[in-house]
Amino acid sequence: MEIKNKIFYLENKRWIIGSILFAILLLLPIFTLLYKLIYVEGNSFKYLLENILLDYSFNTFYLILITAFFSLLFGIIPAWLVSIYKFPGRNFLDIVLYLPLAIPSYIMAFTYSDILSYTGPIQSFLRENFYNISIFFNQDYLQIEVLGIIMALALYPYIYTVSRVSFSLVGANYINVSKNLGLSSFKTFYKIILPLSRPAIFSGLFLVLMEVLNEYGAVKYFGVNTYTTGIFRAWFSMGDIGTAIQLSVILLLVVFSIFYIEKYYHSKTKFYYKTNSTIQSLGKLNRINKFLAISLCLIPFLFGFFIPLIFILNNVFLTFSSIDFKDLLQLTYNTISISSISSFLIILIALFFLFIEKISKTRVNYFISQSISMGYAIPGAVIGLGLIILFAFIDNFFSSFTFLGSFFILIYAYVIRFLAVGKSPIKSSLEKHPESYDDTGKNLGLGPLKLLQKIHLPINKFALITAFIVTFIDLMKELPITLILRPFNFDTLATQTYEFAVEEMIPLSSIYSLMIILIGSVLLLFLKNIINKQVNVS
Amino acid sequence: MKNIFYTLIMCSLFLSCNTNEKKSNEVNLYSQRHYSVDKLQYENFTKLTGIKVNVIKANADELIERLRNEGENSPADLFITVDAGKLQKAVELELLQKVNNNIIDANISDDLKDKNGYWVPITYRARIVVYSNDRVQKSDLSTYEDLANEKWKNRILVRSSSNAYNQALMSSIVANLGSDVASNWSNGIVNNFAREPKGSDRDQVKAIAAGQGDLAIVNSYYIGLLLSSEKEEELNAGKSVSVFFPNQGENQRGSHINVSGIGLAKNSPNKDNAIKLMEYLTSEDAQNTYVNNSYEYAANPNVKPSKIVQAWGTFKRDKLDLNSLGKFRKEAIRIFDKTGWK
Repeated sequence: MEIKNKIFYLENKRWIIGSILFAILLLLPIFTLLYKLIYVEGNSFKYLLENILLDYSFNTFYLILITAFFSLLFGIIPAWLVSIYKFPGRNFLDIVLYLPLAIPSYIMAFTYSDILSYTGPIQSFLRENFYNISIFFNQDYLQIEVLGIIMALALYPYIYTVSRVSFSLVGANYINVSKNLGLSSFKTFYKIILPLSRPAIFSGLFLVLMEVLNEYGAVKYFGVNTYTTGIFRAWFSMGDIGTAIQLSVILLLVVFSIFYIEKYYHSKTKFYYKTNSTIQSLGKLNRINKFLAISLCLIPFLFGFFIPLIFILNNVFLTFSSIDFKDLLQLTYNTISISSISSFLIILIALFFLFIEKISKTRVNYFISQSISMGYAIPGAVIGLGLIILFAFIDNFFSSFTFLGSFFILIYAYVIRFLAVGKSPIKSSLEKHPESYDDTGKNLGLGPLKLLQKIHLPINKFALITAFIVTFIDLMKELPITLILRPFNFDTLATQTYEFAVEEMIPLSSIYSLMIILIGSVLLLFLKNIINKQVNVS
Repeated sequence: MKNIFYTLIMCSLFLSCNTNEKKSNEVNLYSQRHYSVDKLQYENFTKLTGIKVNVIKANADELIERLRNEGENSPADLFITVDAGKLQKAVELELLQKVNNNIIDANISDDLKDKNGYWVPITYRARIVVYSNDRVQKSDLSTYEDLANEKWKNRILVRSSSNAYNQALMSSIVANLGSDVASNWSNGIVNNFAREPKGSDRDQVKAIAAGQGDLAIVNSYYIGLLLSSEKEEELNAGKSVSVFFPNQGENQRGSHINVSGIGLAKNSPNKDNAIKLMEYLTSEDAQNTYVNNSYEYAANPNVKPSKIVQAWGTFKRDKLDLNSLGKFRKEAIRIFDKTGWK
C-alpha cells in the first residue's frame, strides 16, 4: 500500500513539473509583452489620463452594462419558461434558442446596421407605404445602446445554456416545497430558483462580458471607443506600445475584478441540490399566458437568428451569380480543418491541466490552472503580437526553418486564447464526480494515465464533446489572430467575410457568413442533443 | 506505443513549420489590400509569367510588426498598403529597399512617386466631399478649411478618427498648415458634426440621404461602389448626392489624395520576381483592371478612370510629399484626441 502511494506521488511529481513547464510555454507570449514594457521610453500615462481614459472607461462599462442586462433578459426568461412550463412549440424553441451563437457578433452588427439603415428593408418599405410613420423611424441607429442589444442577441445563448441546465437541475422538489409554502410562481422563481442558479448564470455572464471586452470589429464600426479599440489605436496608429500595454493592464484588471466578484459570491453562497431523478412535471398555463410565453421565447430567437439569417439569405440570392463555389469549398475546408485540429488540441491540453489539478490538489496547480485561462481576457491581436515578437527571436537561432508563418504558430495562439473556453465544460463535469473515484482507482494501483483512460475519459465523455463543439464554434468565428498569424494563401470563412465587410461590400460577404452560420447551427443542434442526454433535462 | 506517439507529435510539429528552401518561381506578398480585383491581378500575372503569387492579408500596422520582427528571416518580398503613411513608416523602420527600374519609373505619374525611391504607387484615391443635392448649393463649397466654418453647424458627417483615411487627411492638414491651424480646424469640424463619428464611408452617404446631415467627407471609390450596388435603395442614396473636389481654386493646393503602393522588402528572397510583379501591376493592362473593378484612380497616367468616376470630372491633386502622411500621423491622432474627434 505504502509503496503504491509513494510511486503514485513520484509519478505525480513528474506530472506536476511537466504541467508547470507547459504552463510557462503558454504564458510566454504574455511575459514577452510585459518584458517589452520595461524598454518603453517616456511616460504616456498622463496623455492617456488627460485625453481618452475617461471616455474609454465610460464606454466600456456602459456597453458591458447594456449587454449584460439584455443578455440576462434574453437568456434567463426563456430558460425559465422552457424549463418549468408546458406550451406549444416548447421543444422547438428549446432547440433554436441556442442558434444565435452560430452568428459572429461582428456579422450581427453589420447585418443589423444594414437592416435598420435608411436604405434597409424596414425604412424603405415604410417610406413607400406609410410615409408619415417612416419619418419617425428615420433615426441614427449606430448608437451604443443599439450595439449593446445587438451584442446581447449574439451572446445571450451563453446564459440561456447554463440557466436552462441549472433550472432543470434544481428540480421539482424545491418548486413543490415553495408552492406548499404559498409562494407564487414568480416568487418561487425570484426567491428560490434564481439564487440557486446564480453561480451558473454568472459563469455564462462571464463569457458574455469577455466577448464584449474583446470585441473590435462591431465596436469600431459603431464608433464606440472601448479599451480594446484604444489598445489598437495606441499601438498601431500611434506606435505607442507603452499606452497600449497600460490599457491592456487596465483591461486585465477589469476582467480580474469581475472574476473575483463572482468568486466572492460563489464562496459565500454554497448550495447543494439534488438533481431531479424523475422527470419534473411541467406547469400548465392558461391561454393568454401560453401566448405570452411563446412570444417571450420567440423574441430572442427571431431577432438573434431568424431575421439576420433571412437578410443574409436575401443577400446571397442578390449576389448569387458572383459566388465562386470552388473558393467557397476551399475556405470551408480550411475553416473546418484548422478549427477541428485546434479544438482537439485545446481539449487535450485543458484535460491535461484539469486532471493534474484534480489529482495533485496542490496550490501551485490551482494557480497554474487559473493563470492559463488568462489568455481569454486578452485581445487576440495582442496575443498574436506577443507570439510574433517571441518567435521572431527564436527563429533567429535556426537557419533551416521558421516558426512564423506556420500553422504551428497559428494553433499555438488559438490554444492560448481559447483554452479557457475548452476548460470550462470539462471543469464543471470533473467537479461533479466524487473524489472517491480517484481514491478507488489509486487503490487499485492505477497510475495517472490509466486513471484518466479508465475512469475520467468515459465518465466525462459528454463534457469533452461539449467542450469540443463550443471551442470549435468560437475558433470558426475567430478573426484577429487568424489575420495576423496565418500562413501564406490561407483564408478562412471568417477572414473572407471580414475582408468584404470591411470594404463595405456586405452582400458579397454573405455567402461566407451563411456557411459559418450553417456549420455552427448543425453543431449546436448536435450539442443540444448531448446536453439533453447528459442532464436529462425535462 | 509511447514512442510512436512522441515521434508522431515531433514529426507533425516539424512538418507544420516552414522550411527555408528557396523556391525561385514564387513571390511573397504582405498585403493590406484585399479586394477581389487583387486576386484577379495575381492570377493574370501567374498566367503571364508562371510565377506563383503567395499572399498574406492583414492590417498594415500588424504586417509591419511582423516584417520588423522577422528581420532577415522574413519570407516577404513585397509590402502592399492602401496608405502612403504606412509605407513611410516601413521606410522609417528600415524595412524596405530602393527600387531602381526604368519600366516602373516610366509607368507612373511623376508627382505620385516617392521622392526617395523606396515605394511605388499603384493606384490613388481622393478624400472628397459629397453633398446633398437638395440642401447644399455647390457654390457654397470651397475648401477643407471652409468646412470648419459655422455655416456648416450640425451638417457634417464623417467616420471615426480611428480610420486611417481620416488620419491621413489630418496629417496632410498638419503638413500643409501646421499643428495649430490643424487643431483649430479639427475643433471647427467637431463643432459642426451632425452626429458623433461612426459607421463606414458608405454609411455617411446613406445618412445624407436620410437627412441626418448635409455633407460628408469620404473616399472617392466608395461612391463608385455605392453607384454600382445591387440594391436599388442604395443606388438611390448614391444618386441623391454629388461629388465635390475641395481646394481646386487657382492658389489652392488641390484635393487630398493618398496612394495604394508597394514597397520592396529589405530582405526580399525573390527580388527578381518581386520587381517583375511591380512592373506588371503598374503596366497599362493591370492598371485598367484596377480602375474598372475598384473605382480607384490609376497611378499610370495613360489609364483613364472607370466611366462612373470619369463623370465626376478631373481634379487638381494636392502635391504634398506623400511621406508626410506618415511623418505627421502621431501628431494627427493627438489632435483628434485633444479636440474630441472620436
